[in-house]
Amino acid sequence: MRAIQYAAPTTVDDAVALLAEHGENARILAGGTDLIVQVREDGRDTELFVDAKGIPELTDLTVSADGTTTLGAATPCYELYGNDNFCAAYPAIVDAARIIGSTGIQGRASVGGNLCNAGPAGDSIPALIVHSAICNVAGPNGRREIAVEDFCTAPGRNSLEAGEMLVSLTLPSPPPNSGTHYLRFIPRNEMDIAVVGAGAFLQLDGDSITAARIALGAVAPTPLFVQAAGEALIGQTAGEAAFAAAAEIARDTASPIDDMRGTVAHRKQLSYVLTQRALRGALAHAQGGTPSNGH
Amino acid sequence: MAVETRTGRTVKHHDNTYNVIGTTPIRHDGVEKVTGEALYGSDINLPGQFHGKVLRSPHAHARILSIDTSRAEALDGVHAVITGQDIPEPADKIISGGEGDGNLLKYKTENILARAKTHYHGHPVAAVAAISPHIAGQAVKLIDVTYEVLPAVLEVREAMAPDAPIIIEDLLTELDDQVISETPSNIAEKMVYETGDVDQGFEESDLIVDREFSFGVVHQGYIETHNATAHWLKDGNIHVWCSSQGAFSIRSELANILDHPITKIHVTPMEIGGGFGGKTTSYLEPLAALLSRKSGRPVKMNMDRDEVLKATGPTPGGYVRVKLGVTNAGIVKAGYAELAFDAGGFPGSVVGAGCKCVFAPYNMPNAKVVGYDVVVNKPKTHAYRAPGATHAEFASETVVDEICRELGLDPVEFRLQNSAKEGDWQLDEPPYARIGHIECVEAARDSDHWQTPLEQVPGKLRGRGIASGFWFNVGLTSSAIARLNSDGSVTLLEGSTDIGGTRTSVAMQFAETLGISVDDVFPIVADTDSVGQTDVTGGSRVTFATGIAAHDAANDMKQQIIAGLADLWEMSEDAITHRDGTFLTDGKSLTVREAALLLTDEEIFPVGRATVTPERVGGAFTTHIADVEVDGETGKVEILRYTAVQDAGVAIYPPYVEGQIQGGVVQGIGWALNEDYVYDDKGLLRNSSLLDYRMPTALDVPNIETIIVEVPNPGHPYGVRGVGEVPIVPPPAAVANAIHDATGLRLRDLPMSPARVQAALTSQNGDQT
Amino acid sequence: MRELTGGQTKVEVPGDTVREVVDALDVRFPGLHDRLIEDDRLRSGLAVFIDGANSRRRLRAKVEPESELYFIESLGGGLTPTLEFKKA
Repeated sequence: MRAIQYAAPTTVDDAVALLAEHGENARILAGGTDLIVQVREDGRDTELFVDAKGIPELTDLTVSADGTTTLGAATPCYELYGNDNFCAAYPAIVDAARIIGSTGIQGRASVGGNLCNAGPAGDSIPALIVHSAICNVAGPNGRREIAVEDFCTAPGRNSLEAGEMLVSLTLPSPPPNSGTHYLRFIPRNEMDIAVVGAGAFLQLDGDSITAARIALGAVAPTPLFVQAAGEALIGQTAGEAAFAAAAEIARDTASPIDDMRGTVAHRKQLSYVLTQRALRGALAHAQGGTPSNGH
Repeated sequence: MAVETRTGRTVKHHDNTYNVIGTTPIRHDGVEKVTGEALYGSDINLPGQFHGKVLRSPHAHARILSIDTSRAEALDGVHAVITGQDIPEPADKIISGGEGDGNLLKYKTENILARAKTHYHGHPVAAVAAISPHIAGQAVKLIDVTYEVLPAVLEVREAMAPDAPIIIEDLLTELDDQVISETPSNIAEKMVYETGDVDQGFEESDLIVDREFSFGVVHQGYIETHNATAHWLKDGNIHVWCSSQGAFSIRSELANILDHPITKIHVTPMEIGGGFGGKTTSYLEPLAALLSRKSGRPVKMNMDRDEVLKATGPTPGGYVRVKLGVTNAGIVKAGYAELAFDAGGFPGSVVGAGCKCVFAPYNMPNAKVVGYDVVVNKPKTHAYRAPGATHAEFASETVVDEICRELGLDPVEFRLQNSAKEGDWQLDEPPYARIGHIECVEAARDSDHWQTPLEQVPGKLRGRGIASGFWFNVGLTSSAIARLNSDGSVTLLEGSTDIGGTRTSVAMQFAETLGISVDDVFPIVADTDSVGQTDVTGGSRVTFATGIAAHDAANDMKQQIIAGLADLWEMSEDAITHRDGTFLTDGKSLTVREAALLLTDEEIFPVGRATVTPERVGGAFTTHIADVEVDGETGKVEILRYTAVQDAGVAIYPPYVEGQIQGGVVQGIGWALNEDYVYDDKGLLRNSSLLDYRMPTALDVPNIETIIVEVPNPGHPYGVRGVGEVPIVPPPAAVANAIHDATGLRLRDLPMSPARVQAALTSQNGDQT
Repeated sequence: MRELTGGQTKVEVPGDTVREVVDALDVRFPGLHDRLIEDDRLRSGLAVFIDGANSRRRLRAKVEPESELYFIESLGGGLTPTLEFKKA
């Protein structure tokens, strides 16, 4: 029988040292909801689990004086939607945290783990992109920052170097008169994986859009930051005409594949539809309302 | 004690009253199951057992050039490795009960473990026994197989084409036991069923609608995966514990596959976590037995979900063409249907049953149905809840809806006017006995659902559909042995695996007949040595046929009690009567309990028994109503409301009947909307997990409303009809008809997935502009 | 079987047992016997219904003067073709 070692370091430095010692066969364990399944299915030659949940920095959830929030990479989803301040500030991330897996999964699964897993359909990643999150990474050569939209490099691959780990995410303070929303399309109503996911951020000055970000999931090898769609909204009046135009850019930027989860044509159409729905939700937030999370 | 768990209502067409039947006692297996104490196949752990694992084909179609097991055998902890050469060479004999000469034992054997070729992705190629599942898993990867990869044939049309790659090189097409192909073919069998004059019927028709429908492969989706533990003793006795719908079937399959005396095979059926037809045959059992013989230890095997989806027996994909002719007044004159089902990697699909069901709800004077059983590079298909009927009636019930629209006829009135009834034609079956299709349609018409107009909401596409369904019940053989205990209770041995609560519904029929409380009957699902021949739990037959066995065993016991009392009281048996659980004679009256005490004192121990093969079985009809909402932008279909009306004959335990109806409907909705095997162009299955093989969850279906219609079955002493299968038949058609009502689109390909619906909506919009 | 009966699906023939009925059918429609019977048994996969009942006695079953007989394909439990192996 294959024996797998388990370590529970209490500092980032200790964790990095363990990663350095064991190389690629050491795996950071956060919630484990993806990792344990992968190891069980023999997809990885894992020798060592480095449990990140004992490191205070990785389960941190604090708002600093300037309004930015530090989200520990191993903080489970339920803590996010259980935190009223977080819900008010980062609605798109909360939208994603509420639909990853099931209620039981959300008790353990972390946004950081979802990001490191680098699935094209990872629900939290478009939400992090529209919130302009920064990844804080530690490794043998010290610390560095990566913009979240640059973090994933291919399906299941991220830009962490050998021996590096994701420590936390820095979330900028939400600007005034702004709102975000994330939603996905699944053929069922729960326990499913996004055929397409869409996140949107809008900042308003009256009816006019002053900043916007749009990101899509499951339409490219990595979660897709559709910068052009956001930029096209700037200076426009928030509303259906502008949203449809942005959605067309999103649809045209999406480069999905046909697979067991969806077709190219359907994913293109969903990119168009969900971008508009995400923008409507973000607008509702920016105007102080609550979006309906339509499927 | 009783529980009240009913949600629906009953429409009775009889005046019978009962003491036990129709009540809701606490189920006998309830406490064990809710506390986790019930034993399933995976709970079996024998001293010294090894663990088996299967090596499966990574290719859809390949010739096995060589297998080298030496590296696996050399791995520490490995105790046996078997390949196809370890199974006895099968005789070229026909398996009885089959639908043609194509079903040879050798196909079954080759499906258990490949010999010269692999026929589908996941086909077993070798198996290993080791001291742990992990080592067995490692050892499997050390088996070196050289394959010559062959072109894969996945769809029936492709496989039927004259130039198709041939999967089974000596397979010839048969029709009525006669070979009709000159060269090898992937078409194993052609069948033709005909009645009346179909050309004349179409001649007399004012409207003829001719449509074709297609569907992919769908799995039963039972939650418990296959498992088997086998112990081949040194004296040649083989003990097997497994998750199966029929211990006797597993026993006889093992006897044939292993070429071993049947009396030396002992099969113990464990509790079962779902089967739906997929567990009526063996997969792991012969492998575990052979690994046990080779290793000298008990061997336990478990499939994981990936193996279950890749390599057990899902229901076929294929196509159905239906052509229906009617007069302007809406009278059906003629029907023609053509069904081609993929059998999977070996011959023997359920297309024959589909042929017989396609027009079953209607009185059809002229009909012709042609079926094709086609071999493709997919897993060997097997039974799934009303096998073949859902495919067939999806097509015919959608065509009926189209005809009603075209002629402006009410779909309820159309069905009432054309419904099959007692004495009417049945394709390749004797005329119907008393059946309840008309009563189902009437109850659907009168239901709150049908009488309440669907609320339309601006911006939403909503619609309502209705469809009927028919499926056979089968009889086969069932046994029961009942022992009267000294306290008046009864131990009831039966051989039917309990999937839907049959232990209790069979015990209730026993209690009703003997006149005792069902709480005094202790039913046990026995092994193959402890009870008489009992065929599979399948064909909606257990509450019907095993119920008759229990009824007859109770009467046998009653007669033995009377004989004992007559002897004791020195009187003729005729002087003692039995009424409502009491034995009466002049001046004397004894309950069963009192009689038991008395007889025990006299060392008289009645054992009632019966083995029955019912000759008049009957069938089941149902009518469903579905309301849907279609998202016009994404193509997603939500089921808003669903009502299922079904003739249960007489419902023994009404909540179980409702449970069967609801379960069947949910599976039918899954089939209608999302479930589908997705293969790539090499024939590899891409969605062999429950994440990507999308069965409905609790959030995907509304409460399924049920109405039980009771038109007693004349072939059963209490009027029982089998209820377990037919509820899966109408959902795809009811949902398709509702989608049409909502959108104007006719969807004829299953599943009606969001991508398909959205594509249809796009082309519809394109047509309009 | 239709080709053997010239398209006829309903035929009246004499006989006191199913076996005699089949023999009488074969006289009228030569070849029918072998379609229905193999080794003096009803062919595997066939059933004979007498007045609506699936006869267990098959060829041995008694037939009344006005009885209606149907020879049909039989269906197994769960209606699965490979369901029942009978040990030879």
